[in-house]
Amino acid sequence: MWSYFARRFLLAIPTLLFSTLIVFLVVQKAPGGPVEAAIMASQMGGGQGEAGGGAVDMANNGVSQASIDAIKKYYDLDKPIHVRFYRWGKKILRLDFGVSSNFGKPVWDMLKGRFKISISLGLLGFFLSYMICIPLGIFKAIKHNGYFDFGSSVLVFAGYSIPGWAFGMLALMYFASPDYGYEWFPLNGIQSSPDVFKELSTWGKLMDYAHHAILPVGAYMLGSFARLTILTKNSLMENLGQDYVRTAFAKGLPERRVIVVHAMRNSLIPLATGLGHIFSLVLAGSYLIESVFQIEGMGMLGFKAIINKDINIVMGILVISTALSLFGNIVQDVLYCIFDPRIRFK
Amino acid sequence: MNEAITKEDAPKASVSVFRKRLRKFRSLKRGYYSFIILVTAYILSFFLPLLMNNKALVVSYDGELYYPIATYYKGEFFGQFNDFSTNGRTETNYRLLKARFEAEDEGNWVFMPPLVPFGPSETPQVAKEKILIDAYKAGNFDVDSKDKKPEKSAEEIAKEEEKAYSGGDEDEDDGGFKYDPNKFKDDKDKNKSGDKKSGDDDEDDDGYKGDDEDDDDGYKDEDEDDEDDMGEDGEDDNYQYNPDTFDDQKEKALAKEKEEGKNKSDRDKLIAAAFPLPPSDVHPFGTDNTGRDLACRLAYGFNVSLTFALILLIVAYTIGITIGSVLGYYGGYVDLFGQRVIEIWQTVPFLYTVMILGAALQLNNDPSKPAYFQPSFILLISILASFSWMGMTYFVRGEFLREKSKDYVSAAISIGTKDHIIIFKHILPNSLTPVVTFAPFAIVGNISSLVALDYLGFGLPVPTPSWGELMKQALGDLKSWWLVSAPIAALFVTLLLVVFIGEAVREAFDPKVFSRLR
Repeated sequence: MWSYFARRFLLAIPTLLFSTLIVFLVVQKAPGGPVEAAIMASQMGGGQGEAGGGAVDMANNGVSQASIDAIKKYYDLDKPIHVRFYRWGKKILRLDFGVSSNFGKPVWDMLKGRFKISISLGLLGFFLSYMICIPLGIFKAIKHNGYFDFGSSVLVFAGYSIPGWAFGMLALMYFASPDYGYEWFPLNGIQSSPDVFKELSTWGKLMDYAHHAILPVGAYMLGSFARLTILTKNSLMENLGQDYVRTAFAKGLPERRVIVVHAMRNSLIPLATGLGHIFSLVLAGSYLIESVFQIEGMGMLGFKAIINKDINIVMGILVISTALSLFGNIVQDVLYCIFDPRIRFK
Repeated sequence: MNEAITKEDAPKASVSVFRKRLRKFRSLKRGYYSFIILVTAYILSFFLPLLMNNKALVVSYDGELYYPIATYYKGEFFGQFNDFSTNGRTETNYRLLKARFEAEDEGNWVFMPPLVPFGPSETPQVAKEKILIDAYKAGNFDVDSKDKKPEKSAEEIAKEEEKAYSGGDEDEDDGGFKYDPNKFKDDKDKNKSGDKKSGDDDEDDDGYKGDDEDDDDGYKDEDEDDEDDMGEDGEDDNYQYNPDTFDDQKEKALAKEKEEGKNKSDRDKLIAAAFPLPPSDVHPFGTDNTGRDLACRLAYGFNVSLTFALILLIVAYTIGITIGSVLGYYGGYVDLFGQRVIEIWQTVPFLYTVMILGAALQLNNDPSKPAYFQPSFILLISILASFSWMGMTYFVRGEFLREKSKDYVSAAISIGTKDHIIIFKHILPNSLTPVVTFAPFAIVGNISSLVALDYLGFGLPVPTPSWGELMKQALGDLKSWWLVSAPIAALFVTLLLVVFIGEAVREAFDPKVFSRLR
């Protein structure tokens, strides 16, 4: 088994290499970056325009060849793409993501700060949804085709049919908008303004965070609510039909014990392995939810970076999410081994 | 396949598995009716231009029938000169035309689209129209006379409108035009700028409140909540039909309405309110923040969303199925290599990459084409498809791995059938179960992706009717409850229908038989 994981890790290296290469190419070759825009603007005169770019300021033709070269040199654009990728990759390995062109700060420092916000929200949502969906799924399985099952199915269908961020917007209108509905929750952000927040006690800070986090976390939870509940239910239902359950019943064990101790343990395996993707899941939906709730998290940073053409941030976020999802794949397999000893990887 | 064979499923003659599954699907009422509703709505949505539009379907004018839905008629063609800006040299405002014809009662009529008389990208100037319509009702047709001052020079209009338009005459003609219905016949025949009368430009100091002098090319203007210069010719008392100036007329009408109270406030609301307008009689769903009719935007958005989702589904599934079946059929190194490539491709963050590409590759809309022939529409589908085909490969590959060991495949191989025929004609039809069962949920995902991208601003370009764009507007304006709720509700209902269908399809095609002990 350990040799399997050793190989998995070794395989992850080329995978990471190639997927960052794709990412690198996408960002570098997609028209409209700040450098591309500057260079293109000057090149238009020379008739060498790289077609397809966004808004090109025709008036800016007067950029001299020397300054183009300076720009290119500054951004390493005078080198062929593989050299650029090599240099960039070397920097990335040292966690040097460069400097944000908009904020002038190192990208890594910015990401670290934002990551905390996103991950705290994401983890909260993740664990809360597990805490709600697993019991719900179990009850649905036990009461299969009963009233409770049908009633909660309505919730599940509804939850699947509305994206979490859209629901968040609706909740924001009803429960946070001062102009319409109740002003129960703050309209945006994840904490009160720094001046206010500083003054609060630890408990107060916690409450302040909770107050701000309820709606966004609810939106996060809705995103996985239906899937998790149905997964739990189906996997328990499947296990309840297995021979070992029959055996347990035949031994005369009470139903409660059969379900809780025998069947449930096995039915939670597919759910437990989902924990592997916890980090990449945390990032996946955050662009939308953070933009709805105006939370200055990683997703928001990434979103704004695209709009502002802040390439270093964009690349940084892409690399981190790529690495996280790759890492998540491996962790998922490890968890499989831990939770389900029947599985033997070779 | 372990189909649960019920009584009705056990036919006398042998019935294909597919038929059986269809029958099962039909027996699942919730999914089946959702399917019927959704398909009906989708088919209907292709006829939306006939149902919700600012162009009339049929106009009967002087005994002849015209079909503006198919042809472009300038306002002056029907004798409509007051369109707030161009003296009838832009397309007819058929709502006004209808109101005038009804008021005139001369046998002319306009048949507007039955549901909503507004276009999806149109910014109707309801407040201005209401004043005109009131004037018609009061018997004042001069407001629509040819005597209006064109707000733009003819050259400007010529540039905007038609190249064939020769520069009109700016000269100050007689202001004393008489309303003469017969004359319009001639005008209509000429249908040229030649006899355009540009009236008194300089007398637009009418005292109507809310009036804004520098309202210019009003019609497509984004932010016109300012009143127009309807009564511009107010001071010139050359009108023959009523000795009152139009201003007086207007004030009278206003005074009258003041007594009535309700109408007045209604109209004032229309005039005063900045967009978005709340639901009203005119706009049952309200308007968006540029004054476009929300019901119309939602309905057209439904068509765009579903079309987008379906095309994306077909493209992504075609790629995914082809690659999955090749990997599954050939196995070995092909499979190993393919799996690696897919894994690499899959670790690329989907949404963020699509956002980057969406931002970088914004193409302009080509107004001459419908929404789904736009270059940007096709581009967005290609981008999304290239990052979302991977999921299906696993399922198809798995099905192929299982199917290829069966006898019929060996038989086909042994008689020398070509590989591509075995893959696509023999095995694939037997491996479509996951394809069919996942398709509805993929549609849910596709619609959600489109809405999310539109919401973030990286989706379809601006004038395309889209739910995501409405939600983006809504977030900036949370007090406009209709603007927040309507697109979310539309999205919700559509997705719910698709989910119901998907659930029934899964039940019919891939039933989970749970044997519950005890």
